[in-house]
Amino acid sequence: MSETFKYLSPEWAEEGLKRLKTQIPAEKMHNVTTSMSNIYTNCPGGGERYLFIGTEQGVFTRVEVGEGEPPPAEFRIIGEYETFARITRAELGAQRAMMTGKLKLKGNMAKALKLAALADRMNKVLATIPAEY
Amino acid sequence: MPRTLDPRDPYHIDNPARVKAIQLEMRKQGLDVYLGSRIRTLTWTLDAFIPWRSYVVIPAEGPPTLFTFVIDAARLADESWLDEDHVRAYAPMGGMDQISAVSDFIREELRLRKGRLGYEDGMATYTAEGNLTHYEFTRFKEALDGFEFVNAHEIVDSLSIIKDSGTINRFRKASLIVDEGHKAARAALENGGFKGMTEAVIGGIAALAMRRAGSVSEWNFAGLNEISSGYRTGLGACTPPTNKEIRAGEPLMLDFHAMFQLALGDHSHNYLIAPATPRQRWHADNFVALVQAVLANYRAGTTPSMLAQVMMDLAESRDCADFVVPGCEHGIGLFGDEWRIGAKNDGPFPYWTDPDHTYQVDEMVICAMQYACPAEGIGFRYENPLLILEDGCEAMSKYPLAIEEIG
Repeated sequence: MSETFKYLSPEWAEEGLKRLKTQIPAEKMHNVTTSMSNIYTNCPGGGERYLFIGTEQGVFTRVEVGEGEPPPAEFRIIGEYETFARITRAELGAQRAMMTGKLKLKGNMAKALKLAALADRMNKVLATIPAEY
Repeated sequence: MPRTLDPRDPYHIDNPARVKAIQLEMRKQGLDVYLGSRIRTLTWTLDAFIPWRSYVVIPAEGPPTLFTFVIDAARLADESWLDEDHVRAYAPMGGMDQISAVSDFIREELRLRKGRLGYEDGMATYTAEGNLTHYEFTRFKEALDGFEFVNAHEIVDSLSIIKDSGTINRFRKASLIVDEGHKAARAALENGGFKGMTEAVIGGIAALAMRRAGSVSEWNFAGLNEISSGYRTGLGACTPPTNKEIRAGEPLMLDFHAMFQLALGDHSHNYLIAPATPRQRWHADNFVALVQAVLANYRAGTTPSMLAQVMMDLAESRDCADFVVPGCEHGIGLFGDEWRIGAKNDGPFPYWTDPDHTYQVDEMVICAMQYACPAEGIGFRYENPLLILEDGCEAMSKYPLAIEEIG
């Protein structure tokens, strides 16, 4: 039986970085250098949490979680914990969440559009982590 | 890749200098940020063809940022002089609708929480002017609570009135392109070619010739090329072409538009489709004489009302004053700047030409004269971009002024 990680725990982030590195090669990330902070509002127990993901020339270098202000990132995506959780559980498409305003993007959307497929790829990998929400 | 600005290019415009000039005026007026929405402002600052609803945010210092409809953002990043970071998109997505995208940028990236924001409001004769709508204004006011909104369009209007050499050269080229349209139209009409041809078709023939010569648009905001024939020429400023056939014995008005690097070619030429009656010839000769007289009087120091007086005095002496449409010009600039004359909105009728505006060297104007006799089903229009000089003017279309009888 595979190990289960608490969603957004440091262990879950560590597992996420490992899986992203091994399952999405740099060329599949178009060798892009970028960063993204997902900001989770209305978290269980209250408060805000974040998930920061960074790449350098297509290689995943950072997957970090925490509370409060996230590290500076090229893009910030803000939404409720439950919305992100549903996306990670593949119950809700990220595109639909954006189009219905459940998620809010901050940053240059013209650039973000070029990365939309990459974000989708990342979400699919993160969704494979057995998690407890 | 953004477009590189090359000062050696004859069509070069120093866009960063234009932005700095706006920022200097902003400082004088105590504005912390400028939110431009009119096409003329977008064109003048960004030097790109921006047909979709867009906004330019100009901070107190540094480069401007464009917000445009998501489908066109990549093209504009490629064609404007701004880098990719300064061409943003808006779309129906969370945080990315136009109100959120622009106001979040002002608050979070420019780090402005309060201050004076210049915006653009007013009215115009054509729909696509681009003033902030009431809805946009209301929503921006809500999103940017703490800002004082100041109608500041006169900054751009004042700075854009004197044309630089790159702009003037673009207008010269656009005018020569329009002449190619007129050559193609004449060739298609003569020797009986007009038979069975509609106004819309002759407009299309000219459009193709102009596009082959380098034009990219016939100005969507003006109904494209403006053609009228027969009784429609007598309806005054008859504009969009129809499927009416051009017929023998009728007048024909061809007003062609081109666009070259955002400069607008605009020349109207008239014909009498043979056979013409002596009365038609009399009207035509009157009109040519009026145009010649007005053109001879354009120079720095004159005003629209002085030129109108020259026109009306001659019309009176030729006994044709009843047919002359008042006014003999409209303003012109890069795409989107196509109507009133004068930068300050202080004429007798707000947002219309100031009849007492004094022309200065290197202003441009379209000499626009109309002659309409609806009772006889005849009328003419002359338009030509003029560069105001110290002692005269440069007429940019070189197509010969005449009303020929062709058939």
